[in-house]
Amino acid sequence: MKRRTFLKKSSLLTAGAVAAPYILPSGRLFAQTMNRRVNHVVLCLFAGGVRNLESIHQDLGNLMPGILSGAASTEEGLQTIPSPVYPNRLTQEGTLFPELRYADGPTGHFNGHTVALTGVYTDTGLNLRTNPQQPTIFEYYLKHNSPVVTARNAWWVSNSLGPYPALNYSQHPQYGPMYGANHMAPTYLLNPALYPQLGQPKQFQFHEEEKVGMIRNFLNQNFGKEAILNDSGNVNTPEDARAIANFIQEMYEKGNNGGLNNPLGMPSALANNDIYTILFAEEIIKSFTPELLVVNITDIDAAHQNFTAYLNNIRKADYAVSHLWDTIQSTPGMANDTLLILVPEHGRNLETNTVRDIYGRFGTDHTGDATSREIFALFVGPNGIVNQDIRVGSANNPVGESIDIVPTIAHALGFDVNIPSGMLPGSVLNEVFV
Amino acid sequence: MYIKRLLPYFLLLVWVGFACTNQDREKVYVYEVNEVEVNQTGISKDNLKSDLEFLSLAYSDLFGRTITEDQLNAMTIGYNALGDRALIADIIVRNMLNDPAAAVPTSQNMRGNLDQFIEDTYLKFYVREPGEYERWQLKQMIEGDSEITAEMIYYAFLTSDEYRYY
Repeated sequence: MKRRTFLKKSSLLTAGAVAAPYILPSGRLFAQTMNRRVNHVVLCLFAGGVRNLESIHQDLGNLMPGILSGAASTEEGLQTIPSPVYPNRLTQEGTLFPELRYADGPTGHFNGHTVALTGVYTDTGLNLRTNPQQPTIFEYYLKHNSPVVTARNAWWVSNSLGPYPALNYSQHPQYGPMYGANHMAPTYLLNPALYPQLGQPKQFQFHEEEKVGMIRNFLNQNFGKEAILNDSGNVNTPEDARAIANFIQEMYEKGNNGGLNNPLGMPSALANNDIYTILFAEEIIKSFTPELLVVNITDIDAAHQNFTAYLNNIRKADYAVSHLWDTIQSTPGMANDTLLILVPEHGRNLETNTVRDIYGRFGTDHTGDATSREIFALFVGPNGIVNQDIRVGSANNPVGESIDIVPTIAHALGFDVNIPSGMLPGSVLNEVFV
Repeated sequence: MYIKRLLPYFLLLVWVGFACTNQDREKVYVYEVNEVEVNQTGISKDNLKSDLEFLSLAYSDLFGRTITEDQLNAMTIGYNALGDRALIADIIVRNMLNDPAAAVPTSQNMRGNLDQFIEDTYLKFYVREPGEYERWQLKQMIEGDSEITAEMIYYAFLTSDEYRYY
């Protein structure tokens, strides 16, 4: 289906879905939610390769005080990071799977992300700008949710570029860009260096845009064929596109006015790319209250060459997700109606490599040993819907796999019943829900 | 006697031969015409510009000079950092239009010689002359609405489907 055709149809469907409940005397045409557990899901890929040893097992003390209980780490070389913003440890408000498994396929970052977002193990290598073969969670949501919603409800916020932008939709013939999420790599898009190219667009009044649209339509009709771009990207309605353009503009203005200094309340000198990525994810949450948002953080991958930086970046990631949950719980429309999922894409090797940092610690890679397949998952959500402060599984009895994240999200948002059978090999992690 | 009888036929042959060789040679006329550059019609454009081609050509068309490597790199990063390609292309184009260095005619100049403006605009962005209907219709649109500016016309051309092709 062509972009313009799709836009027309999706606009009509959306309008119909909104209007129908008020037209029909019997009430809503569609159930607003199909047995939804919550109306919003935020998946935070706590990525970059985190070992359970340093995270859940606390072998070096508690590096994640925003998430876990336990005596703080006193390792040499740790930076002074502000205390977590949210008053509770996140595990107190959710269900922890301390021994989830990334059971199959290469333990590469892109593979791990692909599995977490498609629910299918893959051995696809790192192909720049190659969309996955299997549909992503965004496509399942935008195609199968009822009522139909637009892409402003689905966001993929990535820490970096490279192959990651391609994860907002797949090559699957039944899905694809028409059901893709809005991708944004905010630390690139909103980088002050790009201000001359992106930060000061000509502003046309609404009636002027209408005139431009009329002229453009005339030109397009004469041309007679629609531009099918090489990489057309996801599709927004004109209203949503305008809202996103305004959001970008606001973020640039905020940056120019110093509003992005000390991001998330952390001194700028300490803030890494993960902190800024979560900051912009929070801005998206506040502006769009999306039903499905996925954000990744990856600075933890410093472990290859600087193990102490790895430890510090785990602590910063912990601080960031605590702040993220605080923002979710402070945002009208999402507070007490959101499931936050934290999960690494894979772990790291048990054996170290030969690169030693200034504190004498050796780095560690991720090449597929058993330890690099050991990860955790935490599901945080409203009391009465999500089981609070429990652990499911243990080292001797691992429960859950990476491929279970997608079906669990689909179940939480209620559209799992509409996904064709056989598409998803994983299972809903029912232990999450009351 | 025998020769006398054949003489008329001989003279006839000589006369026919003379008549044929004596005709004026065919003249070759050379008509000189002005050199005309043949431009592509819209319908013959089948090749889609790559993202980089689109960005760099839009810059060249608006600023009359080649984009620098640094500028193109910055635009490309921005282009890749937003999933909706149509939206980010629109934002980049509007940033170009907002740059005082962009060569956009004033509305006064546009309306001062509308036929020339329309022709120049088609040549600049579509590398072809407008068809008669295109010329007439666009003129009608501009003349019928005093709020339409040259900037709006440029914006429409740069974000049209034909501009994506060559």
